Amino acid sequence: MLRQTLYGSLLLAAFGLHAGDTVKLAITGPFTGGSAPMGASTRDGAKLAIAEINAAGGIQVGGRKMKIEIIERDDEAKNERGALIAQELAAMGDLSGVIGTVNTGVCMAGDKHLQEKGVTKIICPAAGSASMTQWSKAGVKDNSIFRFAAHDGIQAAMVVEEAINRHFTKVAVIFDSTNYGVSGRDDMLNQIKLQGNKLQVVAQEKFNIGDKDMTAQLLRAKAAGAQAVLIWAIGPELAAVSNGMAKIGMKAPLIGGWTLSMSNYIDNAGKNGNGTLMPQTFIEEPITPKAKAFIDGYHKAYKVDRIPSAVAAAQGYDAVLIFAAAVKQAGSTDTHKIKEALEDLKEPVKGVIATWNHPYTKWNPADVTTHEAFRREQVVMGMVQDGRVVFGNAADKARLIKEAAGTPAKAPAKPAPKAKVKGKTK
Amino acid sequence: MNPSIIGQMAVSGALMGLVYALIAYGFQLTYATSKSINFGQGELVMVSAFFSLTLTNLGLPYWLMVPGGLLFGALLGLVVERAGVRLALEQKSEGWILLSIILGLFFFSAAENIWGRDDRPFPTPISADPIHVFGVDVTRLELSVAVGVLAIMGLIELFKRRTLLGKAFEAVSADRDAAELMGISATRTVMLSYALSGVVAALAGILVSPITTVGPTMASALILKAFSVAVVAGLDSGFGVVLIGMALGALESLASFYLGSGWREAPGLTLLILALAVRPTGVFGKAVIRKV
Repeated sequence: MLRQTLYGSLLLAAFGLHAGDTVKLAITGPFTGGSAPMGASTRDGAKLAIAEINAAGGIQVGGRKMKIEIIERDDEAKNERGALIAQELAAMGDLSGVIGTVNTGVCMAGDKHLQEKGVTKIICPAAGSASMTQWSKAGVKDNSIFRFAAHDGIQAAMVVEEAINRHFTKVAVIFDSTNYGVSGRDDMLNQIKLQGNKLQVVAQEKFNIGDKDMTAQLLRAKAAGAQAVLIWAIGPELAAVSNGMAKIGMKAPLIGGWTLSMSNYIDNAGKNGNGTLMPQTFIEEPITPKAKAFIDGYHKAYKVDRIPSAVAAAQGYDAVLIFAAAVKQAGSTDTHKIKEALEDLKEPVKGVIATWNHPYTKWNPADVTTHEAFRREQVVMGMVQDGRVVFGNAADKARLIKEAAGTPAKAPAKPAPKAKVKGKTK
Repeated sequence: MNPSIIGQMAVSGALMGLVYALIAYGFQLTYATSKSINFGQGELVMVSAFFSLTLTNLGLPYWLMVPGGLLFGALLGLVVERAGVRLALEQKSEGWILLSIILGLFFFSAAENIWGRDDRPFPTPISADPIHVFGVDVTRLELSVAVGVLAIMGLIELFKRRTLLGKAFEAVSADRDAAELMGISATRTVMLSYALSGVVAALAGILVSPITTVGPTMASALILKAFSVAVVAGLDSGFGVVLIGMALGALESLASFYLGSGWREAPGLTLLILALAVRPTGVFGKAVIRKV
């Protein structure tokens, strides 16, 4: 009995000492289920950055170095699980921050608990517009929720731009019936209007999560003469669309949200996925030394030869670096002080996607981009080719190599030659 | 509307409908001998598909993987019979309903833990490239479903009619007590029917997986349709389930084309309600006259 108590108190003492010495960072997301390629890649990319920071002794906080302690939670892409996890994290008290969440619905269900307590969260990589606009709609004065992902507004603009650049005039808009799909459709239709109504939407079709047979929707799109399919959905259903198109002999490229780079799309669609285009923040090609080090590090650490979702992994990695920079600047593990520091990061953070100069500014409810790190120039167009995502436009690749070499980034003056896309000749 | 589109939708739907028919046939097999149904049949489809996928990943060629998967299905069927059905039947209770559901849930959890929750592609040597027949695109994969379904149903029907064991099967189906008096072991026959039902489930899984991918929830949609088919067609007509299955599949895809994909399930459910109201024994079912 006495011995047990002794052990117990020893353990407590050790734990107590331990807790004071670390920066507690929660990583959440779906590590199982249809969204798992994104959730697990985010987590693994983030852990890679954390391992590097810890191996170097930790983050310089005030006078001493502190290691990052990871708290991992699987939300299974379920809104109710996400809400429970957020409540748990918000109640912890000594948590420095949260990085994660893939599903917009989970953000909507959980983030309010964190925001109430002022716990700093960097949403990564959920891209649905609603997860940030909810705070401007609510008119909150002080927001502890940041985002580190190319939000759907940017992505939808790029998708429409790409269709116009490839000289398509008639498109079908297809989406799934989730929050993500429907808001993606709205973003795309809005962008078509904004970019001068150059695209005629000849069909609007939707499907449900779990649907495998898309023949009806695709036949309607085909009959209406769609030259390209603009799409907003998640991996398995996207694959069903590609396979369905091959079956009915519909040769139109799929252009859509970045989910088209998920491994469960690429694997399930097989060769039918070739030529599919989607905005990407990171392409798994070792074009710069930093990118090469990251890709090699990931492959080695997790024993894979392809990152399930390279975008999510790279974003998870950079998000941790930015968070660590904020902790260092704040000189504290206090989540409120870290928030202040994030809003005014003095030193540029060299990430694998880009060098982040002052990614966030003071929250302004009228302008969500104050808490959005990504701008149009950090996003490129990716294309599926033989089971991998490659650069869709050669100009993007050249620009990134140049930027990494230190030459100031400049937008290309004229559109560069485009990579070949199936159906273009038709 | 373009007739070739109608044809396309009807053919695609009817081919998928054959999978419903096959699963419904699995219900019929066990119902015939024991008046019981495995409510966890969908999980049998799913677990067998996962097992076959594992065999494929181990490097087994397709023609070896299929019998392996079918054998596994048969074993699962026997497990359900032994653990869920026999006890309840011996006590003349309806406990098999709950027990078979529980076993299904157990298989589901097991599959989630062993194979994970992701949807995975199911490799197959059969090409998914479309063939153009009479203005309609079908893939070899879809045709393989049709061939597989009709072949296994034909084989089982032949077995029932031509072999001694099959005759015993028929005898128990017709009158269990009389068959027992003739020296046929009803218990053995029920076991046989569950094994066959497992084989049928496994084949459904193997055939449909390359089209729909394999995942723990892959059968949940299929199984409801299969129930509808079994009920509408009646629980004792193999020919009936094929016909109703194809009709339901075609109806579904036509509905999703003309009414919108949200209304996909509506005609099937309407049909189910109508069938229950007008012919509770099923369109092809025999009305049983019970003498008291």
